[in-house]
Amino acid sequence: MRWRFWMPRQGKSCVFWTRTPRGDVPALPLQVEPQATIAEIKNLFTKTHPQWYPARQSLRLDPKGKSLKDEDILQKLPVGTTATLYFRDLGAQISWVTVFLTEYAGPLFIYLLFYFRVPFLYGHKYDFTSSRHSVVHLACICHSFHYVKRLLETLFVHRFSHGTMPLRNIFKNCTYYWGFAAWMAYYINHPLYTPPTYGAQQVKLALAIFVICQLGNFSIHMALRDLRPAGSKTRKIPYPTKNPFTWLFLLVSCPNYTYEVGSWIGFAIMTQCLPVALFSLVGFTQMTIWAKGKHRSYLKEFRDYPPLRMPIVPFLL
Amino acid sequence: MAALWAVSGLRPRPGPASPWSLPPPPRPAKSSLWCSRTESELRVLDMAASAVATAASKGNGGGGGRSGPSEGSSARKKKFPGPLATAYLVIYNVVMTAGWLVIAVGLVRAYLAKGSYHSLYYSIEKPLKFFQTGALLEILHCAIGIVPSSVVLTSFQVMSRVFLIWAVTHSVKEVQTEDSVLLFVTAWTITEIIRYSFYTFSLLNHLPYLIKWARYTLFIVLYPMGVSGELLTIYAALPFVRQAGLYSISLPNKYNFSFDYYAFLILIMISYIPLFPQLYFHMIHQRRKVLSHTEEHKKFE
Repeated sequence: MRWRFWMPRQGKSCVFWTRTPRGDVPALPLQVEPQATIAEIKNLFTKTHPQWYPARQSLRLDPKGKSLKDEDILQKLPVGTTATLYFRDLGAQISWVTVFLTEYAGPLFIYLLFYFRVPFLYGHKYDFTSSRHSVVHLACICHSFHYVKRLLETLFVHRFSHGTMPLRNIFKNCTYYWGFAAWMAYYINHPLYTPPTYGAQQVKLALAIFVICQLGNFSIHMALRDLRPAGSKTRKIPYPTKNPFTWLFLLVSCPNYTYEVGSWIGFAIMTQCLPVALFSLVGFTQMTIWAKGKHRSYLKEFRDYPPLRMPIVPFLL
Repeated sequence: MAALWAVSGLRPRPGPASPWSLPPPPRPAKSSLWCSRTESELRVLDMAASAVATAASKGNGGGGGRSGPSEGSSARKKKFPGPLATAYLVIYNVVMTAGWLVIAVGLVRAYLAKGSYHSLYYSIEKPLKFFQTGALLEILHCAIGIVPSSVVLTSFQVMSRVFLIWAVTHSVKEVQTEDSVLLFVTAWTITEIIRYSFYTFSLLNHLPYLIKWARYTLFIVLYPMGVSGELLTIYAALPFVRQAGLYSISLPNKYNFSFDYYAFLILIMISYIPLFPQLYFHMIHQRRKVLSHTEEHKKFE
């Protein structure tokens, strides 16, 4: 259902229309001050329509335009004496924190199920046995560390711009993370697992890559957090800090994604497992799309954005 | 309601509030976004419908978005391809129509020559492979934007057809004599002839109602026919895949990976169960919309 909001000349009230198959039908009016923010209008709207809580509402000036922010003030918007606001229902919402915690806790738990060779995953004679390859134990530590780090960052580090995302995302995201985690864990912890061709050398190199990238990823998250004071939604250009890991900001807009891909490449080399490589590839594709989008919005928002930076891979992509 | 009028600063009118008693809100010029959004939704769903199925007459509804319900009112926000692109697309669609006609004629001739409908696959094997694989170009068309469809959905659709041709029928020689192959080939042939001629005429803005009707009606029979043919063929291929260990790799190996083509085929077959009803009923729904739309338009013309 679409609604339109009308503000007559006095600018002091909103008239709501609802579009039905029979045409436009006026509904209950609400009184609103011109100094009201969009957030307040959303709250008022929720009172008369409780099924559409504020997080579900998208109000915009143009049906195809961007959503208005909660902080925008009605008076300051580019409207004439009569304003028309368009409403869209975003669907059931769920908070980002909830989604992140669920989608990261899954792989952590699932991998351990395979690591400990819980019954019904492999043949009966392998139940609760342990691999004789040291790289398998190392891989478990790395994988678990990675997801524990992510969980802790979600709880204590990240500062989210949006509170919520559509509910169906949790099913999509969890399927992706949990599915791939199970697939990778199955092969790495399999009784017939083959350790890397170049032995300890390969594992050591891979571990170094992994650790460096994890530290890098964490440093970037901390740097991004410091850009934004608690509870605010300000956006600023990120710059390198004293921490050498953040120097990647000189070359790349989203070094956190760069380091993330690097970690997974390291993990793939460490385990020499094709599913891990495929997971890295898929993740890289998705992160590239995100990085390009972020890069584009940086360029649009900031005139003085450093020109040397590429979205995700220095000089290339 | 009186309060409403007072608040809005307009003269109250007697009678129940009707849409016409207040000045209408300023609408966006033409094709209110309601329409175009619904249409674009329909288009996306249409593509989803056609893409996800591997059945024959998914072609019937598939790419419905590409030329849309063809009485293209200028109100639609669709970007038309330039004249060069249009010319190329017309040629492409004509060639494809001709190709599938060749396959159809080949089938009929082979049937008449042999006197039976068994093992007709061999007589049209080459053109079938050529023209169905040629449909891969459609992915390119979407990618470069001359066809307004989603690349992902089109890829899905075309790849599934190509999969059936190469990875099942070509790879497992023993199924080539099965009757189920004829079943899906026939369904595909009729569907594709209608579909490509539909596109050709749409691009030239001269779509005969008969083609439109055919496209949105024949799927009712062709779609289940095609799906049955495909499923039966895959089912027939299973024992041979198992026997030969076709396209399968097992542990242990250097890359710690395994793939069981037999299980994969079974998964494909299972995936038809949720997909087919959804797509089929979506097509029925589309049909109602498109064909009644035409009647309305005819009334106004």
